[in-house]
Amino acid sequence: MEIQAIVISLDPAVADASPQEAAAKAEVDALIYPTRNADGSFAGTPGSGAFRVDSFDPGKRLVLAANNAAPGGRPFVDSIEILMGRAAQDRLVDLELGKTDFAEIPCEESRKAGAAGVRLSVSQPDELLALVFLAARPAAQDAHVREALADSIDRAAIVNFILQKTGEPAGGLLPQWAGGTAFLFSTAADPAAAKELWLQIPGSPRLVLGYDSGDPLQQSVAERIVVNAREAGMSWTAQALNATAGAQASADVDARLMRLRMNSESARGALAGFLQAISPVASIDASALADSAGAETVYNREREIVASFQVIPLVHLPQVYGLSAQVRDWKAPGPGESWPLADVWLEESAP
Amino acid sequence: MTFRAKLFWIFTLTVFLSIGLVAAGVTVVTRRAFDELNREHSDALVAQFQREFERRGQDVLRRVQGIADAEGTVRMAIDLSRPQADVSVYVNDAHGVSQSHQLDFLDFVGSDGSIISSAEWPARFGYKMDWVMKPEYSSAHGPFLTRMDTDAGPVLALMAVATVPVGDKNLYVVGGERLGKEFLASLVLPAGMRALLYLNLDSTFQPANVLDAVGPAIEAERFAPLIDKEREQPGEQTARINWTIDPASAEVFHALPLPGRHDELLGVLLVGNSQLQVVLLERHIRDLALIVAAIALFIGALLSWWGAARITRPVRKLAEGAREVAAGNWNTRVDVRGGGEIGQLGRSFNQMTEQLIQQRERLIQAERVAAWREVARRLAHELKNPLFPLQTTVENMQRAKDKNPELFDEVFRESTRILLTEIENLKTITGRFSDFAKMPQPELAAVQLNDTVRDVVKLFEGQFSAVGRPPITPELHLDESLPVIQADAALLHRAVENLVLNAMDAMPAGGVLMLRTSRKDAAVHLEVSDTGAGLTPEETERVFTPYYTTKQHGTGLGLAIVQSVVSDHGGRISVESESGVGTSFHIELPLQPPHHLQVFPMVFEKPEED
Repeated sequence: MEIQAIVISLDPAVADASPQEAAAKAEVDALIYPTRNADGSFAGTPGSGAFRVDSFDPGKRLVLAANNAAPGGRPFVDSIEILMGRAAQDRLVDLELGKTDFAEIPCEESRKAGAAGVRLSVSQPDELLALVFLAARPAAQDAHVREALADSIDRAAIVNFILQKTGEPAGGLLPQWAGGTAFLFSTAADPAAAKELWLQIPGSPRLVLGYDSGDPLQQSVAERIVVNAREAGMSWTAQALNATAGAQASADVDARLMRLRMNSESARGALAGFLQAISPVASIDASALADSAGAETVYNREREIVASFQVIPLVHLPQVYGLSAQVRDWKAPGPGESWPLADVWLEESAP
Repeated sequence: MTFRAKLFWIFTLTVFLSIGLVAAGVTVVTRRAFDELNREHSDALVAQFQREFERRGQDVLRRVQGIADAEGTVRMAIDLSRPQADVSVYVNDAHGVSQSHQLDFLDFVGSDGSIISSAEWPARFGYKMDWVMKPEYSSAHGPFLTRMDTDAGPVLALMAVATVPVGDKNLYVVGGERLGKEFLASLVLPAGMRALLYLNLDSTFQPANVLDAVGPAIEAERFAPLIDKEREQPGEQTARINWTIDPASAEVFHALPLPGRHDELLGVLLVGNSQLQVVLLERHIRDLALIVAAIALFIGALLSWWGAARITRPVRKLAEGAREVAAGNWNTRVDVRGGGEIGQLGRSFNQMTEQLIQQRERLIQAERVAAWREVARRLAHELKNPLFPLQTTVENMQRAKDKNPELFDEVFRESTRILLTEIENLKTITGRFSDFAKMPQPELAAVQLNDTVRDVVKLFEGQFSAVGRPPITPELHLDESLPVIQADAALLHRAVENLVLNAMDAMPAGGVLMLRTSRKDAAVHLEVSDTGAGLTPEETERVFTPYYTTKQHGTGLGLAIVQSVVSDHGGRISVESESGVGTSFHIELPLQPPHHLQVFPMVFEKPEED
């Protein structure tokens, strides 16, 4: 019997301490742990899940072997070989050349990947790219500064050009499919209003927008926002932040871009998760949303946050996965879900 | 200052001046030569810059045109010419194309002037760059210098625009190279020269915009005056910048404006010429001049010493000869050879002394004759007075004997008395002449002048208040601290006595006779004054002339004797008189007469013509 092994190409090395690394590690943990808690942590003995670690070459290669005694039954594939440290371009090449069966694809590359014949799996837009004003900075205290920047941003251009039409302009925090109220939030830019507001700000402050240095999408979006702001007369510059800084920014950054991944399909849960992620750096009260909050409460809370301009929603991003032609029964995971690799199987390729 | 010293300084100054002028001339010529050389280098560098500028511009144009002609670009243009074309597909294309064509700037601009893709500023897609649509920026007009905006701020760029026409729509390919330190680094510079570039991107001078081949120039603020001048009046400007107090650190900068398509000032090329070589050469010339001057000074000193000695020797001989003549040695001769002015002067000097001797001989001869005449006249005058009574007395006696024999005895007695009286007068007269002729040489001994004065006054005390004549009051003002002098006491006594007698004669109506002694440096001073009628100026001039007298019965020898005594003692005598006030004689006698008292021959006045 031929051993079926799925090959996965990952961007970060597992040894990294970046958010991407944490996400990748979580996906691996989901494969080797038997159970997952409500808070997202994993329980049980490592290796007692669907897979166990067979070999590990830190930063390069991880091989997981199927656990015959897995609680939910033995996975279809015999092993999973995870190639680490593969950049987006390499992953695309791996997919095109058939060297890998599964890889995450950045949204901005999805169009090119599709044009190149790569089989894509695109999830619902479950990730919010937002601009967050940092509470510790004076700019965050001036509503005119926040509003002027919000008015200057051309979200459609970000989606159409930078994201190559993958994703949706975000006026609210929650995507339309999750909350159903996204259409109530305007996504249109108003440079004239931004210019007018900026003129009311004394001293013409010079402001800094931070972005994750390891995230090309954030860099492109940050640079575009700076261009939008300059065209409106504002003085913003983009500055890369160390990926390990997490939510904390450098001392001279007034606002920063953040990726906020939904951890729940429910609007309340997703908004609560967003607030949980934002509150350490922004002037946002994360505890103000009760567990029993209804859709109206969620909307009002969302509206309140958006209207304060402490957080400026930019785009909602889907998760894009590249799959080889042999992968079967793949289903894009929903918010809070892990990759269902234990459920996929590989169709034997023709000899 | 001696003639030799003057000659030395004239010679030295001449040498210094000559060397200074030569050094200054060489320095000026050298500086002009260097300036000209620097100018040529600057022109060459400017030409090189312009050639490189043109070459790069053509290269940029060629590459941009190559991009425009590429199949991918043409396909993009065709795609974008369609209705509802999706420009977002091409948003990242410029970056890759610019890298493959090694362009710092590359923008694809749509037919509406909107940026489709930008290599230098990727995030600027969608915004307008509609100036590329203007005809003057088309490739037909070649490359151009312009200001380009980037995310890091404005920069200066050498750009070109190529058009890809599809139907009625155009795709513009805008590409170029940044004009900065890399461009400067590509220039081949001669030694001592450097090129800088000022990017005129701000409304005021910004030091950070001055670039050299490695980046922002050091101490760029020093260029502010030159750049400001260039901004006010674009054109070729020159300025010198001294980086330190050492002139060798200076650089002369030539500024060349770099205009844009519309002749706006976008940049300034600064070509700097180091002044190190010219300053070092000037210093070398100066040092050389100083060394030459020092050598010349030394040689000059020797030459001037030798020359001055050669020139001044006859002059010095002449001066010594003149001093000898002044001292009375009229037989002096100078040995001056040669036919120049000095030789002529020496011969004239010798001729002059010969003539002086001859004239002196003639004068002495004449004076002797005159003196004898004067003596004869005086003798005749003096003897004539007693001889006339003698004659008349003898004639009276003869007449009495012939005509009045009875009275002869009486006449005889009277006549013999008269004869004896007159004979006595004749004896007195001859005695006086004899005394004057017998003036002895002074025999020096310690003499207190005050004592002499007192003795003389005491001698005449009786006569001062004699019965029958108005009284004369003697007043003595004697300096008791007066030192003794070396003098002949008898002669001195006689001189003072004559002065007192003279004063008494001058005061027939009585008056005051004042005698004052005092010390004056290394001499003693005696003043004898009367309150008589005084002398006329003519009398004052002739008062010491022998046999000159204003008195009816004087011999005119008294004051001449006084002058003779004073002269024999190495002293001086003078007289001052005011008519109606009186006369004062001043005698000054040295404490110690000269070692070699000279007896000058008595000079006799030329006798007056009767």
